[in-house]
Amino acid sequence: MTEESQLGRVTISPRAIATIAYQATRQSYGVVGLTSKNLMEGITQVIVKDPTHGIEVKYDGQKISIDIYVIIEYGTRIKSVASSVSNTVKFNVEKALGMPVEQVNVHVRGLRVSDTD
Amino acid sequence: MDPEEQEKTSPAQLYPMQKYPIDGQVFKSLVEASLTWLRTNQQTVNVLNVFPVPDGDTGTNMVLTMQAACDEIATSAERNIGKLTRMVAHGALMGARGNSGVILSQLWRGFARALDNFEILDGNLLVDALHQGRNTAYKGVVRPVEGTILTVAKDVDAEARHYLADTQDPYAILERIVSAADASVIRTPDLLPVLKEAGVVDAGGKGLYFILEGMLRYIKGLPLDVTTASIQPLAAMKMENALDNIEPGQDYEVVVDFHPNNVLDVPQFYEDLQQIGTSIQLGEGDGIYRMHIHVPADKENVPINYIKSLGIVHKATIENLRAQVEQFQHEQGSLLQLTPVEPGQIATVVVAPGPGIARVFASLGVSAIVEGGQTMNPSTLEILNAFDHLPTDQVFILPNNKNIILAAQSAAQLTVKHVTIIPSRSVPQGMAAMMRLVPTGNPEEIAAEMISVLSDVETGEITVATRSVEIDGVNVKKGQLICMLNGKLVLASNNLKSAALGLLSKAHADHFELVTLFYGAEVSRMEVDAIADSIRKKFPELDLEVQDGGQPHYHLIISIE
Repeated sequence: MTEESQLGRVTISPRAIATIAYQATRQSYGVVGLTSKNLMEGITQVIVKDPTHGIEVKYDGQKISIDIYVIIEYGTRIKSVASSVSNTVKFNVEKALGMPVEQVNVHVRGLRVSDTD
Repeated sequence: MDPEEQEKTSPAQLYPMQKYPIDGQVFKSLVEASLTWLRTNQQTVNVLNVFPVPDGDTGTNMVLTMQAACDEIATSAERNIGKLTRMVAHGALMGARGNSGVILSQLWRGFARALDNFEILDGNLLVDALHQGRNTAYKGVVRPVEGTILTVAKDVDAEARHYLADTQDPYAILERIVSAADASVIRTPDLLPVLKEAGVVDAGGKGLYFILEGMLRYIKGLPLDVTTASIQPLAAMKMENALDNIEPGQDYEVVVDFHPNNVLDVPQFYEDLQQIGTSIQLGEGDGIYRMHIHVPADKENVPINYIKSLGIVHKATIENLRAQVEQFQHEQGSLLQLTPVEPGQIATVVVAPGPGIARVFASLGVSAIVEGGQTMNPSTLEILNAFDHLPTDQVFILPNNKNIILAAQSAAQLTVKHVTIIPSRSVPQGMAAMMRLVPTGNPEEIAAEMISVLSDVETGEITVATRSVEIDGVNVKKGQLICMLNGKLVLASNNLKSAALGLLSKAHADHFELVTLFYGAEVSRMEVDAIADSIRKKFPELDLEVQDGGQPHYHLIISIE
């Protein structure tokens, strides 16, 4: 995203935004990992270190939309965890950028089972 | 030891409940007590929110989660503790709302797992269950942040295991862990800097404390539905209402804004203040606390000196209530009374440019008022703050000024609440729309109805020209009065009476039924009465109302409908 000012231009790369979203996601309770979107379904249980793997940022010149691929702890209420993630990410990215985030899509790609009930 | 002697010294005598073993039904009562006590203190927890993350308030989320847990067991007659707690855990899981709610449901999940297949909860089992709850909750997060509800659960677990060496009595253990939870909550700002900066303790941790304390209060037979001490958001402090019933000994109102050096011990604070005066209120927001109290004459400095000993005083005001009340009753009896809103209902937030206009809006049933108007546009944040604490998801905003519509729209984007903007461009439009509000109705239909009546009312405004200009064929000299009809300049005049009459003629007032004059802060009642008389003469068919609007800059705001 680019912002013009009298002095010049400020450019923020999608990667930078992905890093903010990554940190926010990792802080969310219930998320035990992020997973690359491009890996095949069977091996999604890989916890990625590179923020851009688990997070996709799209910017069409007006709107920011963010896709997040997560693994959630088995036994939590997935819907609550996911909406918590999208709220936290939206808030943190908006706070850092001062620009509205149009969409945060949370894709739950797997569950980690620590305890079965 | 003589068995009789032993019974005398046993703490069992303190609480009659203690004779009973904790089976499913006893535990059911304990869980219900937790919910009641948490709900009583919901607002106290809500105002501890540090981040304005639009995730709902922590207190509300925890109450809803506990409510779901209680609903699950409401009709159950299960005596088996294992089966009953499993139902509690299931209910909490299904109803988990927000971060704190999810963590709470995980605590219950672990707790229930430890009790599987057991009939009765004894001391050993309780300690084990608390431990399992803690472990399960910690598994849900990769990098646990300390200074949160998780820390409180951890400290409770540690204390319970430590105490098991002394007693096997589950009631005694409960008493012990409630104080451990309390101490742990007080420590949270030391672990999490963001809490320290804001001068608050962790909201989720405090909620967990209330859940445990609720059980203990039930056992002790203490009331569960009255708050002992509470903090409310600044915007919710009802200073004007407090004026309503002044009794002897309440001669001065003292309001102090302060920042405590340490975390404020609210119950102690209330207790100390009760020695000094009455009508105590404590508010919190914008990084400060605001204390409100009524004290008798010659004691007006005592609360200020007391608070000085706790921290830094930012601002202190002392007002003579006797004089104020007399003036108040003299001026008008009506007080600003906002309409409380229930969850699920529609809350309306209006922007009002003057105290009189705010009062009229209040009488029309609005739930929150933001001060502002021409030349004093409220910020997005002010609008957001006005409705963020309302206990409902459905919010209508009436900006009542075309320049504020944008701020209202961005406030709507920053929240998860369903915000509908009723794009009222003037105070009269806002009032016309408010007439159509049905708080319990279908929001979409009501909004459509409210928007449709916006154009039914004509708005006249009379103010002073700040520069000489010619617009729309009207020549205006600086300092003259200018009249606007629906935002368009129609007339300039040197005299308020002719301006008002001219404006009404331009608006074809004779085709309408009701004209309301809201006179501004710069106009006297006598002046406006004289104008009203000449309007009645010129338009005898019209119903005319005169209201003290109190708005700055605008001599008159005229609603024509």
